[in-house]
Amino acid sequence: MIEKIKEVVKKLFKEDKIDIFIGYGEGTLPLRTTPCFITGPDDIEKLVWNSYCLNNLAVYLPRSFLPQLQKKDLKFPRIGILAKGCDGRSIVGLIKEHQIPRENLYIIGINCSGMIDIEKVQNAVYKMQEVEIVSAKEKSGKVLVENEDNKKVELKKEELLAEVCKNCQYTAPLIYDVLIGEEKRKTKEKERAAFIKEFEKKPLEERWKYFQEQVSKCIRCYACRQACPNCYCKECFADQTRPKWIGATENISDIMFFQIGRILHQAGRCVDCGACVRACPMGIDLRIFTYKLIEDVKEFFGYEAGISLEEAPPLATFKPDDKQEFITEP
Amino acid sequence: MENAKLKIIKKKDVLKFLDSLKKEYDIFVPIEKNGDIRFSKFNSEKDIPWNYRNTKIPPKEIFFPQTETLFSFEAGTSTLSNGSMTFTPIDESKSSAPGNKNYLIFGIRPCDAQAFSLLDKLFGGDDFQDPYYLEKRKQAIIISLACNKPQITCFCTSLKGKPDNEEGADIILFDLGENILTKPITKKGEEFIENLDSWFKEAKKSDVDKKNELMDLSLKKICSGVNLQNIKEKLDEAFDISFWNEIHQKCLGCGICTYLCPTCYCFDITDEIDHVAGGLAPSRGKRIRCWDSCMFPLFTLHASGHNPRLTYKERMRQRIMHKFNYCPENFKEIFCVGCGRCIRNCPVNLDLREVLVSLMSLGSLCKDKKI
Repeated sequence: MIEKIKEVVKKLFKEDKIDIFIGYGEGTLPLRTTPCFITGPDDIEKLVWNSYCLNNLAVYLPRSFLPQLQKKDLKFPRIGILAKGCDGRSIVGLIKEHQIPRENLYIIGINCSGMIDIEKVQNAVYKMQEVEIVSAKEKSGKVLVENEDNKKVELKKEELLAEVCKNCQYTAPLIYDVLIGEEKRKTKEKERAAFIKEFEKKPLEERWKYFQEQVSKCIRCYACRQACPNCYCKECFADQTRPKWIGATENISDIMFFQIGRILHQAGRCVDCGACVRACPMGIDLRIFTYKLIEDVKEFFGYEAGISLEEAPPLATFKPDDKQEFITEP
Repeated sequence: MENAKLKIIKKKDVLKFLDSLKKEYDIFVPIEKNGDIRFSKFNSEKDIPWNYRNTKIPPKEIFFPQTETLFSFEAGTSTLSNGSMTFTPIDESKSSAPGNKNYLIFGIRPCDAQAFSLLDKLFGGDDFQDPYYLEKRKQAIIISLACNKPQITCFCTSLKGKPDNEEGADIILFDLGENILTKPITKKGEEFIENLDSWFKEAKKSDVDKKNELMDLSLKKICSGVNLQNIKEKLDEAFDISFWNEIHQKCLGCGICTYLCPTCYCFDITDEIDHVAGGLAPSRGKRIRCWDSCMFPLFTLHASGHNPRLTYKERMRQRIMHKFNYCPENFKEIFCVGCGRCIRNCPVNLDLREVLVSLMSLGSLCKDKKI
């Protein structure tokens, strides 16, 4: 697949269709890649494609069009981007919210076979911190992990997939200019909402306790916000000082205010890419909250984010028969 | 001569040893919580995770917590002629727990101990004395634990460090398996061990040999490094080179690298005000300081609305310049100990070592000048 990607990118530069290409490059650590910005055909060899291409690259798009938006006379850059299914849904959302111009994007869609959760690898073989993984090689559905004492362990990729990837509904983006790898991966889509259904059965006190336990780990580094393509606000409510909505401490009330605020701002917009969960250094289970929102929006408004460019988002529409019991009778 | 001061304590006695010091000291040890290791108050029920590599959150939080109340105040009775209110400080010495206990930091890694000696230069330098930091720091005993197994992100050897670096610690421990070898570094550390002599016995030559062997092996495991010779001078010329135009590109602008850095010390000061029940009038409040990060736009936002570090580029440059140029200028020290936390935890794998390598590999910078 990587050869195909390189071929397309080379052609794009040759035909002068893009100014910059955003893909993945080799990481400096095992089981990692790093976002890679390419400005000419000479650097194409830097690109890689494997099961560690975790980052949602759509996060880089809004800021790429920002300085130019302020100075109207400057031309927008033409950006080529590699998009997995989830990245592609984020791009749809950003186009709909008028943050990025479709005509300046060249989307190389890729049918993603799911990304590996690093923690699962660590936990599958070794207890935390006992052993340092020094290298990892991937070959036909297997991952060969080597530790510092040269011991090798072979693991099945399928068992290491990130939770978001395991039940992914859209492995390829819904809009693209070229699609690579057309065979759709089989996933257990139907099991997707099961963890929320299970959680909802718990008594209120237990759910509240879980929420508090999770967010109390927060150190206010804002990695969740910064990794999220939807969090492009010029000024986040958490950063505003006049008025100041929220205290600066890691006190539970301040943290909850931030987390609830950020998560609620994702209603009808979150595409469940898992970028926030992966970015969080403290391992907060953010997805249990964002996914609940996704389910609610689906149930109340029959809407799913990042699927179509035409369908109006629920926050931008009003219908007389919209569900509103959740406001009037909480 | 040196070896005469080396003592041995049995690993299985360490919990009892610490337990016996509980009354005299506030003891902090690495403790496993939520799948991570973090410095927390000693609890005799929980064993020391001797094999731990390092904590995610650096132990700087013991002396320099993420949030710290500087003082509290309440609304005064008088109102000034211009309508503004007066506030009076609340004396909290009566309400808070009696007696300032001494701090005992047990088992921090040598790089983090070195970071304390750097933070001391800032918080306890000639120009400014920070009473909040120093009050805790001055009485503290730092007992570090040499690294038998460094991580792949460790590059302390590029920055004056090594697995058994002594800087910043009063005593350093070596994990020999069943025994712990102790080596006092400062006079404070020497006295500490002398006063508790009954717990220790003399180290044998075989113990010292084992220690040396472990340290040699450990040093060999630190494979990554950057030659940082003259980096300060290099950066003197580097403020407006094109290098910065690209190096920040993949940065997300979160605060992980700075918050998890053992030497990052920037903070913000705000007032938190409680209001009179049912009204908007302030009743009492406190002035607090919280960690802040140069990677956030709010860090340099002026009251006018102008921001001198408007984009990721200026903010990334600031982080590198501050650690590797401004601090050497002000404190004669690079403010990085090579612990690798920023590398390990960066969500986009923006590796500081790579940034430094490409910086050091730049030729004469003057030719490259362009904004």
